Amino acid sequence: MFSVYSGPILELRDVSYRYPGHRLIVDKLGFSIGNGEFIGLLGANGSGKSTILKLAAGMLYPAAGDIRLWDKPLPAYRNKDRAKLLCYFPQHLDVNAPFTVREIVGMGLYPYDIPPQMTVDEAVEMVGLGEKAGAYVTNLSGGERRRVFIAMTLIQGAGILLLDEPLANLDIKYQIEFLRLLRGLQEKKGISVIMALHDINVALQFEKVMLIKEGSILGIGSPETVLTGEMIKQAFDVAVEIRKSDRGGTHITHERWF
Amino acid sequence: MRTVRFGIFIIAAAMILALALFAGPRMINPFHLSGTEREILFAIRLPRVVVAMLMGMALGASGAILQGVLRNPLADPYILGISSGASLAAALGLMSGFYFFGSLSVPVAAFIGATLVSLLVGAFGWKRGGLWPERLLLAGIGLNFLFSAVLMLLMSVSSDEGLRRAVLWMFGDLSMADWTLIPPASAFVVVGLGIAFARSKALNALILGDEFAHSLGFAVQRERLFMFAAMALMTSASVSLGGTIGFIGLLMPHIVRFLLGADSRVLIPASAVAGGAFLCLADLIGRSLMPPMELPSGTVTAVIGAPYFLYLLRRKDVLSV
Repeated sequence: MFSVYSGPILELRDVSYRYPGHRLIVDKLGFSIGNGEFIGLLGANGSGKSTILKLAAGMLYPAAGDIRLWDKPLPAYRNKDRAKLLCYFPQHLDVNAPFTVREIVGMGLYPYDIPPQMTVDEAVEMVGLGEKAGAYVTNLSGGERRRVFIAMTLIQGAGILLLDEPLANLDIKYQIEFLRLLRGLQEKKGISVIMALHDINVALQFEKVMLIKEGSILGIGSPETVLTGEMIKQAFDVAVEIRKSDRGGTHITHERWF
Repeated sequence: MRTVRFGIFIIAAAMILALALFAGPRMINPFHLSGTEREILFAIRLPRVVVAMLMGMALGASGAILQGVLRNPLADPYILGISSGASLAAALGLMSGFYFFGSLSVPVAAFIGATLVSLLVGAFGWKRGGLWPERLLLAGIGLNFLFSAVLMLLMSVSSDEGLRRAVLWMFGDLSMADWTLIPPASAFVVVGLGIAFARSKALNALILGDEFAHSLGFAVQRERLFMFAAMALMTSASVSLGGTIGFIGLLMPHIVRFLLGADSRVLIPASAVAGGAFLCLADLIGRSLMPPMELPSGTVTAVIGAPYFLYLLRRKDVLSV
């Protein structure tokens, strides 16, 4: 007999981190993500969003506390095994090597000895770059490049995606498409996502939001409870109002910007 | 398309190799070898071509590795100070009467110098448990200036004839090539190429950036160390074979990327083949242009290489890592 594990698939327990010679960037932070959960990680510039994702990805080692992946300490995984479960998508993409789209997407298969089911061409097709599969990434626009790496992430097939501002530089069409693509993968394959954001309006679309200030959690839960005017004032130091639109969405409003 | 280009590329390299063996001030017909010609072929031409091939392979592959590891299209093995360090070691060795290895003293001193400099650059580039590209590059440039200055100083205060010969030799001279150094040097080159080729997927991932490399399941710092070690082994072997021949490490990876793309699994072996062929060609030109005088191969590679490099520079999107 075997038992089905139903606890959190990724858990941070009292994790602290400081860059050498600096103040604490992350201070006794604890949270967990369950199978199939989507969490929007929201906070001002420098609040520690990227650091939290890098800690969760095993790229940085916490000064205190521990991180568990599928109830096993993260450092106990072999690199390749971790890569099949957990994928990190950095904020800055600066690739100036003349790799083709297909070559970069194919790198998503590096952790595997036997390739998983999705083919490179399918992944390229999914991000709408089918016609540019043979093109050099150096000749693509910023948004197209981002989609190339999104395709690489898809083919890597990890169940947990840690995405650091993946919507930056994307046209609104592709922002929506990308979020829908993730939603589809959640329904089909049960993937879990932690996505760093700084656009409050995007965070309002998530079922669960974690609001960060100076490396600590200000609030975690549904957007209705976490993204109140008062909390946003605390996190971003700006006065906004949350409005429900007639069409079912929510959005923030602010007095004329300038 | 790329397969066809790869085929043409290999055939061109093989033709250059054959040309280097049989052409020259004295043409040799491989199908009608006289006794003297056999002697020339096996005692002079063949070791010389093998040395050129090994050196070029080491430098071409090292350049491909270093441009990837440092994520910098201007990197070549000599920018890290390995050449000036090796020259300095050879010069110092001769001045202090380091004739322990007889005629091999200069190559051995150069090899020791190149290896020591690689370690030194690595030590300066090391921080918080890993090698950092910017630190490596800056440390290398700093050390390069330092060693060149000390070498200059030595040359201007010393009247030692041996020193002068050593320095000239360091500029890249294949005329003394024989079989003695080939076995150990080829062992180093084979080991270096083997490491680099075996880890070429990791190099691809490193070119995308440390974060992607980590996410794809590579131990970033360990992979970088492997690559650096492979580069140091090959460059040291090359320097000890025939001095410091410029431009191959910088140029070959760019030409190969232009023709065959950036995938390190192709780039590393193809840069090695291109480097070997290019140095054989440069050496052939150097010894055939105005016999019996020989032009140093390093000069020829620069005279051919620099204009082609500038031509590539004019083409969009070619000069990238």
